Amino acid sequence: MKKKRKETTETETEDQMELLDDSQNEEEDEIKSVKQFKDSKRKAKGTVSDDGVLRPVKLSKKELYKAPTVEELNQLKEAENLFHCSILKMQMEELLKEVALSEQRKKLVDSFVHQITDFLQCVPESEVVELDDISWLSGVEVPFLLVPSTAKGKFHMEPPASINLVGSYPLGMCIKPKVSVDLAVTIPASILHPMDAINQRYSRKRALYLAGLARHLSFAKCVGSLHYSCLHGNRLRPVLLLKPPGNASSKVTLRIHAVPPPDFLKPSRFHPQKNNIRTEWFTGVASTQEDAESSEPPTPHYNSTVLGDHLPLSHLQFLSAVSAQCPAFGEGVALLKVWLRQRELDQGAGCFCGFLASMLMAYLLSTHKVGKTMNPYQLLRNALHFLASTDLTENGITLAKNPDSKAPSLPEFHAAYSVVFVDPSGHLNLLADMTVFTYKRIQHEASLSLTFWDDPTVDGFQALLMTPKSMLRTYDNVFKLVNLVKLQTSCKKLLLLNELMDHSGNYVLTALPFVLSLLQRGLGERIHLLVHSLPQDPEWSVGSAPPKHKDQPPLSIGLLLNLEHALSVLERGPPADNPKAAEFRQLWGSRSQLRRFQDGAITEAVLWSGNSISQRRFIVLKIITHLLELHADIPKSCITVGGGQLDDLIECDIQNHTTGEEESLEVVQSYDDLSRKLWQLKDLPLSITSVQGAHQALRYTQVFPPVPVRLDYSFFDKKKNHLGLVPKENKPCPCYIAPIKVIVHMEGSGKWPSEPMAIRHVKAAFHICLRELLCKQHNYRCHATPGYLDVWKDGLVFRIQVAYHREPQILRESLTPEGMLISRDNAEAQALELETLHKPFLTSTLHGLQQQYGCFGVVCRLAKRWLASQFLLEDIREEAADLLVASLFLHPAPFTPPSSPQVGFLRFLHLLSTFDWKNNPLIVNLNGKLTAVEQTDIKNDFVASRESLPTMFIVTPNDKKVSVWTKQVPSVQMLQRAVMLAAESLRVLETQLDSSEKQDMRVAFRPPLVAYDVLIHLDSKQVPLLAKAVDPPVNTFQRGTHGGQPFASGGALPVIDYDPVRLYLSELREAFGELALFFYDPYGGTVIAVLWKPNAFEPKPFKTSLMNARRVEVNGDVVTTVPNVEAILQDFRIIGEGLVKRLELRTEKWVV
Amino acid sequence: MAPSADQHARVIPGGFSVLSLRFSEDDAHAALHQLCVKEHRVRAESSTNRPLDRTLFVLNVPPYCTESVLTEVFSRFGSVQSVELKERPGASETSHSGVSRHFTDTLRQCFRVAYIVFKHASAVNAAKRHPENVPLVVSTAERPVRTGIHKWIQQYSDSLIKASSLQQDIDQFMNNYDRQKEEEAERQNQEAEQQQEDEEGWVKVTKSSRGVKVRPHSETANERMLKREKKKSERKELLNFYTWQHRNTQKEHIAELRKKFEEDKQRIAVLRAQRKFRPY
Repeated sequence: MKKKRKETTETETEDQMELLDDSQNEEEDEIKSVKQFKDSKRKAKGTVSDDGVLRPVKLSKKELYKAPTVEELNQLKEAENLFHCSILKMQMEELLKEVALSEQRKKLVDSFVHQITDFLQCVPESEVVELDDISWLSGVEVPFLLVPSTAKGKFHMEPPASINLVGSYPLGMCIKPKVSVDLAVTIPASILHPMDAINQRYSRKRALYLAGLARHLSFAKCVGSLHYSCLHGNRLRPVLLLKPPGNASSKVTLRIHAVPPPDFLKPSRFHPQKNNIRTEWFTGVASTQEDAESSEPPTPHYNSTVLGDHLPLSHLQFLSAVSAQCPAFGEGVALLKVWLRQRELDQGAGCFCGFLASMLMAYLLSTHKVGKTMNPYQLLRNALHFLASTDLTENGITLAKNPDSKAPSLPEFHAAYSVVFVDPSGHLNLLADMTVFTYKRIQHEASLSLTFWDDPTVDGFQALLMTPKSMLRTYDNVFKLVNLVKLQTSCKKLLLLNELMDHSGNYVLTALPFVLSLLQRGLGERIHLLVHSLPQDPEWSVGSAPPKHKDQPPLSIGLLLNLEHALSVLERGPPADNPKAAEFRQLWGSRSQLRRFQDGAITEAVLWSGNSISQRRFIVLKIITHLLELHADIPKSCITVGGGQLDDLIECDIQNHTTGEEESLEVVQSYDDLSRKLWQLKDLPLSITSVQGAHQALRYTQVFPPVPVRLDYSFFDKKKNHLGLVPKENKPCPCYIAPIKVIVHMEGSGKWPSEPMAIRHVKAAFHICLRELLCKQHNYRCHATPGYLDVWKDGLVFRIQVAYHREPQILRESLTPEGMLISRDNAEAQALELETLHKPFLTSTLHGLQQQYGCFGVVCRLAKRWLASQFLLEDIREEAADLLVASLFLHPAPFTPPSSPQVGFLRFLHLLSTFDWKNNPLIVNLNGKLTAVEQTDIKNDFVASRESLPTMFIVTPNDKKVSVWTKQVPSVQMLQRAVMLAAESLRVLETQLDSSEKQDMRVAFRPPLVAYDVLIHLDSKQVPLLAKAVDPPVNTFQRGTHGGQPFASGGALPVIDYDPVRLYLSELREAFGELALFFYDPYGGTVIAVLWKPNAFEPKPFKTSLMNARRVEVNGDVVTTVPNVEAILQDFRIIGEGLVKRLELRTEKWVV
Repeated sequence: MAPSADQHARVIPGGFSVLSLRFSEDDAHAALHQLCVKEHRVRAESSTNRPLDRTLFVLNVPPYCTESVLTEVFSRFGSVQSVELKERPGASETSHSGVSRHFTDTLRQCFRVAYIVFKHASAVNAAKRHPENVPLVVSTAERPVRTGIHKWIQQYSDSLIKASSLQQDIDQFMNNYDRQKEEEAERQNQEAEQQQEDEEGWVKVTKSSRGVKVRPHSETANERMLKREKKKSERKELLNFYTWQHRNTQKEHIAELRKKFEEDKQRIAVLRAQRKFRPY
């Protein structure tokens, strides 16, 4: 018998080893070069083990206490004063090393630039043609949307006046991964005409010139690929992208900008209030008015576009002058760029690009908001602080020291643009294209980052610079606007002709701010933040026509919800007689109605439908579709939303579309009632000291919370003596009634015996006593057993367990022969403590968390549904899963606590797939009880004793050393599998959510069954939770319940906690646990997957203790045993008689 | 069954004979479990409930074979006196005396070993000589063995117990317990009395009184005492008073910083090894 398996994991580890070798070589090189750190480096290297696990540091006494040098002292001081710990400084230094360009790369870039420059110098001259005539460009398209198509003017090709490197590369601030080098090619003055600024003539000539260059370059050998793109989504500013041929193509991109001679046009012509595009030309309709010139609308965006082309060289000079003053300038900007990039803010139309980052830093330097001697870390921090605290939409800033008299003033800029940051010339607004919403997003991100930075318990480096914040994972709801051509009609509907002209016909950018401010008004206090994705720069080959505006990928709109208001069904407006009422009516249209409220007020109001919380989560979507349809003519079909499908997976009531919130609440209310009744019981021999819930439904995290049922008595057999109902053999398995566990602590007293066995008897006596009292005083049907008492109440079953607080202690105590009383931990005591101490505590704490974050429970349920469907719920216990989700809410860095099930679930998968369990404990600071010092201690203790601790180590304030919920499981292998599955599921889900079509979200919830050796298919008749399966079958069987209101008390005791599948599984595991692993989805799965253990089939020598389920093989004098596979498979059938439908053997993986 | 030529027992080295076991007689081609049997022979055991000559030691008993099933199956070799099932071979435990069935832990449903005591020693040999190709049958038409759904429903039904019978068991146990405690207390009283001075001031010193201590001492109490002592000595100590102490504190501080620096460097080295500094 032979097994083939785990090949993939082996190759993976090999890869890791290779990586490790590389880095160690690097390290050795460093050791040679840096002499002063020689000793310490070697020390550090010595302690790094090969498997990438942290080991405690051991320094010799001599080294610790040697006399410090001045240099070292200063270094230590700096590290101590400036950072929470010096690690952040080191981390940033490492990061900067990672993103900086290597010398080799620089050489490559320089030689490529040199080649291209030389080649461009010899562009052949061409004849003068009309601007409309593009026949001379054989095979190359003009990178320009010719709308309107007519334009006056002449054009010819000529070699460039000059070619200069501009942008980040000459400043040395270019960073990986997208290395793009900007090359400004100056158009000779003879091609341009002073009146070209008007009616896009200049822009068209620029595009033509670029096309001419492209045609010339297409003959060059040194060019690998040639594409057009446009600068920050602005179609008037096309650029030419060049890549070197061969392997080097991914290493650098050369961007060629065509620019006019520096002082060609006067900047005063581009004052934001001047017009440079004539309505007559743009619309093609002759204007009737006499004084057409004076009534033309201003075209600020067009003006800034043309003006921006004049200034790259002077900006470069300005920045190089500034960066020369401050040594850390480049590195500070690099950090800021990384920060922006992780937040998807550095690309697309209206972005905060790297150039702006350096301009901002220059502003901070010139206004002395940062010092010249600051280090990169401080520069980043101050920049973020400035962004967080300054509102550029209200108070713009300017870099111009002494603007000339013709330069516009700040108020003039504010009137024309939404965000204002004026360049050194005083004429150009650098942030002309940015929307208010993008700036608010930057501000939000900056202030969020600062709070994480100030919190010593958060790994600031990870949160600030290392974690990518994609829209899907950051925002609670992400809507997609597909079919962007509809925005053209909304421009008409919103009367945006002038703005459309200003944006040269780009209706997406024109309509976007108006549509968004409409939504902002409508959503009001339901949301904290409204953001939109930045339209990405299109890229197309030089041989094809430029893409149309409508061909853009869909726009995403992200919302951060304010859960206090987001789910309310009522939108209350102003009183009817208030002048604002008209405004309200205008906004909501026919949905606004006059309503009279209980407090007597008569106001305008909008009422949305939604009975359950899961339905009310869609109110935001309803508002958006309603407003867009009403005001912007965007039909419902253009708005898609992902994630609602995930709700189906945890749907409890199909008719009412509830996802368990209401059911959980009902359970909690019934429990509260029971608890009150228990407290008030009379005639108890000892008084009750606490009643605590210990079931997940009581902390809102049960995947399918117990639902009150009313029984159909004819479905069951009745047990004699009226003890209760018993399932009938020929009927389907009755519905599963989960007992809801409640722990009741009894008062301590001298009367409690001091022996474990006697205590158990006394507890049983208490169960009987409680049974009688509850039966007599409240008429509940109860059933007492030695271990618990079941109470049948409101159609639910509560399982009361009496506890005595000293019992675990007594279980631990024993007497030594000398008569000394010693206390030794044992499994029995631990199990008891888990049940009576840890579980109730966790339940009450997480119940509190649910009150604080309304969406905690539903995220938990979704996460656990996923774990269950992937067969992981037995390895990552429910409590551990709850804590994982709790950590998303308590330690959201770099995000905000999730407010929708979908985003919470995505982050759960991300956490599970990326957390470094090997080197870090997961600290879940429930109620904020752990201080920073304690957390450091926990981390240090963890590193010191990593080997002896569980693979998954979760710390809570009440459990700092043990990690009770992950102590037994998962094993290393299972955790690895969980990590792998989570990563894959996350990838699948995100691509589905990102695509605009509707897709089947359940894919991530269907387990791959290929890996297993035997599949045991179950008879779905005997699977009680069949209806809750990921793909529920049509026929789910009648299971002995009526519809209708359950009885509050009385009636026969139902069949409690009877699940044949679970009984079967436990018997299988007890009998064959040494040979195989059994996997099952407890929520309606109809397959048990069996995996033989890797070494199960090895022949073992015959031993009396090792004969279970094995068969002997005699070979001469040697007797060996091997598993008796055929008999085992036979036993699978025998043990599960009536439940097992068929066995599916995958013998291709193992041979009998 | 017709007797065939190879109808003899299969004995493997180690002295075990191999018997085969079939669950039900109606399916003849089903796979068989192998039971290894041998007479029970342990040097040091003097247990009366496993007489050496009459006890058969059986390995690899499937979980659905309970004591009663085994009794039935093995009675074909001779009448069975008792059957003891255990998870692994070893000395027999003294069962909980005086504890009712409600308070004993349920058995795990795993493969077990059995000690079958026959009434006559001859039955042991008969079992050992049983040929392998004639399997023993667990579940027959006359005495079917229930598994699966049937069994679980039966189990559930059995788990419903009357409170009064439970109460009865509890009362009985607690009465016993109380009586034991009383006897214990009385014995201690007597011992204490013996240590009391009599009228003339004499104390009778006996051998047994040595064990009784004045104060019951425990580990936790000892620890507490040590802690208290330590605290006391700490309080008396002067800190940062002498110059050398001050110097030492500073030295400690620098050492602490250095240690932290080293730790951080190590952490960085690990992260670098894992390429954790690539932001994207």
